[in-house]
Amino acid sequence: MRRAALGLVAAPALAFAAAASAGEAEHEFRADFLDGTLQWSEVEQRAREEGSVNFYFWGGDDSLNVWMDRVVTPALDQEGISFNPVRITGTKDAVDLVLAELNAGKRIGAGSVDVVWVNGENFAALKRQDALFGPFAQLLPNAENLEWSSDDPRSVLNLRDFGVETLGQEMPWSSEQYVCAVNRARVDEAGTPSTFAALRAYLEENPGKFTYVKPPHYIGNTFVQEAIYAHNPDGTGAEAFQAPLEEIGASELARLIGPGLEYLKNLEPLLLGAEGGAGPHYPEDIAALEGFFLNGQIDFACKFGLYGVATGLAKGTYPEKAEAFIFPEGYMIKNKSYLAIPANAPNPAAALVLINYMTSLEAQISKLEHVGLPAGIDPWLLAPQERRVLEEAAPGHIGVEQAELDENAAPDANATLVDVIEAAWLEYIERDSSRTIADIVAEAVENLPR
Amino acid sequence: MRRPREYRMLRLSLEMAPMALVLAVLFGGALMMAILQAMGFAPWFGVNTFPDFSHFRALWTSKAFWVSLGLTLYYATLATLIALVMAVPLALALIKTFPGKALFSGLYKLPLMVPYTVGIALAVVMLGNGGMFSRLAAFVGLIDDPGQFLRILNTHYGWGIIAVYVWKQMPFMTLAIHAVLIGIGRDTQEAAAVLGAGGRMIFLRITLPQILPGIVSATLICFAFNVGAFEAPFILGGGFPDTLPVVAWRYFNDADYTRQLEGMAAVVSLAIISGLILTAYLIVYRRYETKIGRV
Repeated sequence: MRRAALGLVAAPALAFAAAASAGEAEHEFRADFLDGTLQWSEVEQRAREEGSVNFYFWGGDDSLNVWMDRVVTPALDQEGISFNPVRITGTKDAVDLVLAELNAGKRIGAGSVDVVWVNGENFAALKRQDALFGPFAQLLPNAENLEWSSDDPRSVLNLRDFGVETLGQEMPWSSEQYVCAVNRARVDEAGTPSTFAALRAYLEENPGKFTYVKPPHYIGNTFVQEAIYAHNPDGTGAEAFQAPLEEIGASELARLIGPGLEYLKNLEPLLLGAEGGAGPHYPEDIAALEGFFLNGQIDFACKFGLYGVATGLAKGTYPEKAEAFIFPEGYMIKNKSYLAIPANAPNPAAALVLINYMTSLEAQISKLEHVGLPAGIDPWLLAPQERRVLEEAAPGHIGVEQAELDENAAPDANATLVDVIEAAWLEYIERDSSRTIADIVAEAVENLPR
Repeated sequence: MRRPREYRMLRLSLEMAPMALVLAVLFGGALMMAILQAMGFAPWFGVNTFPDFSHFRALWTSKAFWVSLGLTLYYATLATLIALVMAVPLALALIKTFPGKALFSGLYKLPLMVPYTVGIALAVVMLGNGGMFSRLAAFVGLIDDPGQFLRILNTHYGWGIIAVYVWKQMPFMTLAIHAVLIGIGRDTQEAAAVLGAGGRMIFLRITLPQILPGIVSATLICFAFNVGAFEAPFILGGGFPDTLPVVAWRYFNDADYTRQLEGMAAVVSLAIISGLILTAYLIVYRRYETKIGRV
């Protein structure tokens, strides 16, 4: 019995020792690469030796999945790397996996995630837990496609992710803007709301004709943030939400988000399914939201999708008369999403090669063309000819102009605030708590993982 | 004499080993982990306050938990009862001979071969406000747009959830009861008929007690499944307040790690409650069996 117990203790210890020695080569590689002492060709050489790369990404978009299989897989085959796409339902799954493996002592070379498509609080969580590979982004050859100088205000989307400094620990890959679509078969131009007050007025005339994706889904969180920006009691919009939580403090945050949450709570009886006193029906994901929209159950649908209407029409997931519209004026959240390498990536060199490929002009053009995901690279750094090709690959806007979208863009709230705002929505609106917003926010701040 | 006995013991333990292993490792291990986490042991999140009953307290003192428990038991019980009421006459009919019996006996088992998820998808496609029936109703002009159709899914009445459970479990119960009926034959019923008992009396006094073991085991299995099921209430349910498995999942998906421990507490609470209900059910049934002198 005692021997068995000893064996139980010894086995993981031995396994750990083995993993540690196996990780040494990866350690050295990381140090050399981040020092800049490695040539890119050496990285490619090592990537071929590693042989494969595991890319964890949200697998909810069919055209993206097809693009991964038809375009990325053959492209990486040419580099001598077998591409292993791992589709997950939420990025948090990959983050949890990385953190669990790190806590189990699996260091570099021993984990299972090489690259993860990430932004916002998920990146902030990885960064806070020191679970990232290191500042690699500006060392990639294709870093020249991105603006890194903080002198140019446009670089902020590359340098800050939900207000958190990226420090080169993730590479911008895609950009998005939160855009709402309207079904023109049901609502004319004059009747289309452009502010939250107008939306409420519309719903008073047409109860039940709107809903939004339920937080904690990020699509829902973003809608809540826009409502909070628009109802900022100081009238400073998104600006007040750029600082981290420690700087703002719980009571000030509660004061800032109060009116927005109040608006959303009062809106509940006018949302889909709330007629007759039943609770409103919040869809769990984009597919469910688009189902309601396609079916005429709601007149407006909001999600991240700069080209969402064009791709939705092409795929038949949007009603025929769907058009994008400017809503809410001045608070249309725009951000980038990134590719990050966890600290315990089993194939770090292959991960670098994959990310470099993903930010090449070629990959960005075909992603735009086939998936409709806006470019993550900065077009003003490209040659005029390249820029034109990139522009032509875009599916195009329907009902709005690029200039209008740019004029009304707003940044995300700081990542440290997102979890608190989400918890406040769940408690104050979904669970219909009778406690004050100040109490709820104070408790949510208290419970945050440190 | 010794060898055969030892051999028998060895064989017996070999026969039981796979089940015992599965129970001890997969089930026992998972249950232990759940209980430990619910009591504050989760060093991988940087939380270790073991033993700590605050997660249970937070859960049990919230009104929402009891509403969720009520919903969970309501869907599970109603679905089991409806399926049973449909299954008993069907099983009784199936021991008679009638034209097309072979075909029908095959047909009614079809839902058994189709996974729950497919049943749920069918419910969404047929019964949803964007489903076939609502579009058909809008097309023929009964309603202006499909959204106005009667809401069957995603309400707290849970008709969609119950429909899926019944659709899947009615054939299962029929199969279980039918097997018992075949086992006992028709002799006692015929004897009762010869002695002058009417159809209703035969059913209540002869057939029902005879098939009771089948009814108890089938309802036990279905009820236990319904209480713990996740997909149907998640996809077809009415949103907050959700059934307990969905509540646990939501807590588990929360960015706030302390909520994940509360999710574990919800899972453990559900296991305790459904365990208590099933044990009480079995005790009552055993008492009955003793009373009628069958055990």
